[in-house]
Amino acid sequence: MDFETDNEILPFAKNIFTQPPYKNNQPSLLGGFCSDCNDYFFPEPGYCPECLGKIQNRPIGSKGTIYSFTVVRTPTLFGLPSPYGIGYIDLMETGLRVFGMFDPKEIGQLKIGAKVVLSVKSLGKDRHGSPRLRPCFTLEPDNLNRSI
Amino acid sequence: MALASVIGVGIIPFGKHREKTIIDMGAKAGYLALKDAGIDPSKIEAGFFANGLAGRLFGDNTIGQNVFWELGINKIPIVNVENACTSGSSAFYLAYNMVAANQVEIAMVIGAEKMCVPELGLINSGETELDTQLGLIAPASFAMRAIRYMNEFDCAPKQIAQIAVKNRNHAQLNPHAQFQVPISLDEVMNSPMIADPLTRFQCCPIADGAAAVIICSKNIAKQISRSVNIDSAVLCTGGYGNNQDMVLWETDTRGCNLAYEKAGIGPKDIDVIECHDAFTISEILHYEALGLCEPGQGIRFLEEGHSQLGGKKPVNVSGGLLSRGHPVGATGVAQIYEIVTQLRNEGGPRQVKDAKVGLAHCMGGDKSGDTKSCTVAILSV
Repeated sequence: MDFETDNEILPFAKNIFTQPPYKNNQPSLLGGFCSDCNDYFFPEPGYCPECLGKIQNRPIGSKGTIYSFTVVRTPTLFGLPSPYGIGYIDLMETGLRVFGMFDPKEIGQLKIGAKVVLSVKSLGKDRHGSPRLRPCFTLEPDNLNRSI
Repeated sequence: MALASVIGVGIIPFGKHREKTIIDMGAKAGYLALKDAGIDPSKIEAGFFANGLAGRLFGDNTIGQNVFWELGINKIPIVNVENACTSGSSAFYLAYNMVAANQVEIAMVIGAEKMCVPELGLINSGETELDTQLGLIAPASFAMRAIRYMNEFDCAPKQIAQIAVKNRNHAQLNPHAQFQVPISLDEVMNSPMIADPLTRFQCCPIADGAAAVIICSKNIAKQISRSVNIDSAVLCTGGYGNNQDMVLWETDTRGCNLAYEKAGIGPKDIDVIECHDAFTISEILHYEALGLCEPGQGIRFLEEGHSQLGGKKPVNVSGGLLSRGHPVGATGVAQIYEIVTQLRNEGGPRQVKDAKVGLAHCMGGDKSGDTKSCTVAILSV
């Protein structure tokens, strides 16, 4: 599975995606789970929005399908590459519809319904100009255009 | 029975006001509203000042009191209101409620924004929001709605883009609009791409500007000519449900339905509409949330001419956010200005014939694939 882990590059934020070592070589998004309501939330909330109960941090998924997307072509924030692709992905494992980035190399091939899988890449920089790891979704091989 | 009325409105032309401060602009709009109402500033019993960005851009927090003092208004309760693009309409909602609750007899709303400055940057929902950290900017959330809309209802980007052409045509007739020159569909489609499929002319321009409104009790309104009834004014917050449907917009629909319910009317009763066309696709979606047409029929509604001046449901005859410009804190108040002007039959060349019932709709903020805030007000004569 294609992802970048460099001990020198920190995640852009805590508790959004799993850290290595990865089970099955696959990172996962992290969210919140309320065992009383049996519901998942992303990102992890401080309290359960339904019952105010205690939230556990849990993996919420690493595979999904694209619900919608766009490609942003303006100057970017946080040193993100230009252009970049973003969208909403329906996660297979928990059914959550999550906002995320796509692999900048694949933005020309994004389609509603395409199958994607979570990756972790160095995307963007922090306030001090240091690169940061961000989660991004890449197209499953059978969704990539082989005719190019 | 309406619980409050609008008795005065004021607006300054929207555009670049490099030499003017927020205080200059807000006070000018306020001055015009006071003159329009024909009442003395000493009669104002509460003030609400709407602004979105002055704290971030200039360190100008709590500046509403300065604006009101420029008009000689002091000592009364004054609140500074920030609710993104619904700052102005939220201030209107608060002022309306204070009068409707009989806490005061006359309240004033001023919305002003100075944002045509190099340090503005990209409009987003702030660094704390995860989605911003992953690249979400304001145009992108609507761009994703457009992509989904085209997928579900089989239409082309240029069909959505027609909204920009329509609202520019309307703006020719509005001396307060930032952009009054008509634009062709080709020009709209050929402008630089911002976030697929929204090109630059499909995104509302930044602008400086101010507008003001004076609200009073029914008793006072009886003594003042040209008063307009406020039948309902609602404010909703996003539901943030997961999965969020990005075409059938639950929060938008909920806000519109609540306003209709409180006013005791339906979409068929509305003669003129100002809605939040921050992007072309926004107006299409709002036709559907407002119940002007069925879900998926928004493009057809537009193409059949119903939302043009002269059509059965004119929308944004002022030019809307797309052509009037969008000084964040002023927009919600400017929409009320337009509806009141229409209902007073003072719209001049852009007057909607026999307009008796009007609706102002606005939205602000992005969170969890939803809006944060939605306001709808219904007024009538």
